[in-house]
Amino acid sequence: MNKAGNKKGKRNWEPYIWLLPSILLISIFVIFPILIVFRLSFSEISKAGVIGGFVGFKNYSDAIHLPAFKTVMINTFWWVLSVVGLSTLLGFIIALVLNQEFHGRKIARSILIFPWATSLVIQASVWNYIIKYEYGSLNSVLLNLGIIKEAINWRSSYQIEFVWECAVGIFVTVPFVAFCVLSGLQSIDESLYESAIVDGAGFWDKLFSITLPLVRPALSVSTVLNIIYVFNSFPIVYTMTKGAPANKTDTMITYLYMLNFYDRKKGPANALSVIGFVILCICAGIYMMTVMRKEENL
Amino acid sequence: MKNNRVIFGLFICVLVCACAIMSLPLYSFNASVYTKKSSNTFVGDEKYVEARAEVEEEAENYRSQGFDVQINETVTERTNSKGETTSLVAFTIDQTFTKNVWDFVCSSLTSAHAARAMAACILLALLCMIAGCARSLGTAIRGLAPGQKRLRSLSAAACLAGLILTPVFVLMNNYLFWRKIGLYRDDQIEAGREAFFAGLDRFLFDGQMGDGIEGAVKNLSVRHSAAIWLLALCFFAAILAAIQLRWGAIKQTLLRGILYAFVIAVCVITLYPYYVMLVTAFRSNAETLDMYFLHLLPTKWIWSNLRDIVKRGVPRFLLNSVMVAGGSTVLAMLCGIPAAFAMARMNFKGKKFFLGFVIMSQMFSPVVLLIGISQLMNTLHMNDTILGLIFINAAFNQAFAIWLLRGTFVAISPDMEQAAKIDGCGTVGSLLRVLLPMAAPGIVTTLIFVFINAWNEYTISTVLISTASKRPITVGITQFSSFNMIEWQYLFAASLLATVPVVILFMAIEKHLTSGLTSGGVKG
Repeated sequence: MNKAGNKKGKRNWEPYIWLLPSILLISIFVIFPILIVFRLSFSEISKAGVIGGFVGFKNYSDAIHLPAFKTVMINTFWWVLSVVGLSTLLGFIIALVLNQEFHGRKIARSILIFPWATSLVIQASVWNYIIKYEYGSLNSVLLNLGIIKEAINWRSSYQIEFVWECAVGIFVTVPFVAFCVLSGLQSIDESLYESAIVDGAGFWDKLFSITLPLVRPALSVSTVLNIIYVFNSFPIVYTMTKGAPANKTDTMITYLYMLNFYDRKKGPANALSVIGFVILCICAGIYMMTVMRKEENL
Repeated sequence: MKNNRVIFGLFICVLVCACAIMSLPLYSFNASVYTKKSSNTFVGDEKYVEARAEVEEEAENYRSQGFDVQINETVTERTNSKGETTSLVAFTIDQTFTKNVWDFVCSSLTSAHAARAMAACILLALLCMIAGCARSLGTAIRGLAPGQKRLRSLSAAACLAGLILTPVFVLMNNYLFWRKIGLYRDDQIEAGREAFFAGLDRFLFDGQMGDGIEGAVKNLSVRHSAAIWLLALCFFAAILAAIQLRWGAIKQTLLRGILYAFVIAVCVITLYPYYVMLVTAFRSNAETLDMYFLHLLPTKWIWSNLRDIVKRGVPRFLLNSVMVAGGSTVLAMLCGIPAAFAMARMNFKGKKFFLGFVIMSQMFSPVVLLIGISQLMNTLHMNDTILGLIFINAAFNQAFAIWLLRGTFVAISPDMEQAAKIDGCGTVGSLLRVLLPMAAPGIVTTLIFVFINAWNEYTISTVLISTASKRPITVGITQFSSFNMIEWQYLFAASLLATVPVVILFMAIEKHLTSGLTSGGVKG
């Protein structure tokens, strides 16, 4: 890079010009809303959206004392934990299988990508139809096959409905994990396994001492990204139950949407936004650390 | 080799067993062909004897036709309002009979296809194995000629098909006898009624019931014996034997079988919602709301559903989606390519800071900032405009775009650009003429990825867009579902139109995308 060094004196502003459009775009449409939300969370806001003066942490204490706050936080916790955890596990297993050589592997990979490519609201609508009690496809298929004798009510209580929402969440998240892990698996050198076999390693030995350590970066990236996506996921819960009954199936995102646009409690809604933002910041911090560490390794 | 011979013998035995099981009376039927009710009758009185004689005569009539029938009588005693005891005697002539799989093979029922295919599988497996073993029974397995190997594989495949067909056969029969007959009887299905009952008559009563068939099947009861599952077991044993004969190693082939079973299960579960979407999109409204709807495919493909959704503004929504997704893709690329270029090729202060800035922006899906975004859009007067959506989608896809592009650029050696610069191209020139053409696959991948993300975006559009004609398709489809009525067929027809293009696009970039997301992306 001698050339660059020579020109450094007169053209050191050049890279910033190249970055400018991107910085502008992100600043205006990402950073600015963050600032707005922060400001609003400390201000008094009327139902119509008129912004009043500074009120300190009043909005936050309002938000925490909302009747549904506890349920919603617990739901969000379970939602993120179950969807991310199970889809990581399933995605990992599927990736291990898809990494084998077999006939029709390309077709299987193409099929597996379907849920990733489909809009969440469409997926949620389809599952909504499938598990309907009166005419749902699942009941209809099982009845026809003679597996069940009469229709089962798949959504008899809100707890079960929430479990279904998590299941749909897992269904749509698995492909992402599977493909991330798969790309990690494919970069593993085959000779490592061969020498392990020579050393007499079994299936589990190979899994724990070769495969897992080597796909760990891919796995951690996909897990952290997933936590962010799943935490922010809105359409599944909104389409399937709209949080009914009485916010019992809401996650934080759907709850703050309802709070702001239906109940018009804009102050607490903004406070919730900031709380969510802080939670995500922690995830982001962990993520940055992972990425930076990898950067140093390179 | 002795082993070879033993297994071959076992294979033949197992298939003969399968044939024997197919000849067992697997299905037993009980049909009441004649009913006579005699009211105010007490057992033993004059009226009873008269009725009994009449029933006997009728039964004799059936026997002369070749039916094996028994007479059953049930007596119901009741006290009427005046306190007198009355009794009702009902005579039925029941016919009990059994059918084996070969009877199904010869019938014209739908399950006959499965039965015939099963028989064909056994025959094929047997023929292939005999041909494949003709000269090699004495030799070692490893020394098989390619032709023999192929025949033995084919034999295993035929057994596998037989194994899969066994439950299919049972399910088809369950479906036929438990549900389909009932629905025809209750007039819930009209089409093909005559032919259906004629076929059933030929199968159950050898065509002797004639017009009385509908009455006869009214009280039909069916039981299948557990022996039918032995058939599946036989096929499984045959597969194992065939595999053993082909490869000699049974553990490895079992693992292979489990692998395929797992992959098939995953694919079936993944495709199930798409199958539901596809068939529901072409059903009539009545069929979508019918739990007892029997057919896996619509009875009639209603293509007019598509015409109806066209009338209800779906093309407009699709156009909006194309505009939003296309616009944000162009914008994201225009901003992203220079940034990625700078990140890949230049050294400057604050590079790390910018990297952190980009990653931070990626942490926040627009949803958590919904309120801030709608406030911002109000200030910018871009509320309820497609332009606003374009900006938001482009901004939130910047991070991914920069990552993917940077990964691509870093992987390309800068030598060519240096050469172009020496030849007199500026930095811009070398980017446009040299780097971009070479990075085309990565750029297309990024392009499509951003396009799909913007196409599938739902939440921001719900909040920002209030005018119906400006909605993108993901929001537009919600007009078919309201609280009291959901028009599933329209909802899914529109969803289908929204899904097919992006799924095809995604499949096209699948290979590049995954490597970009983790390696190229994380290299950041």
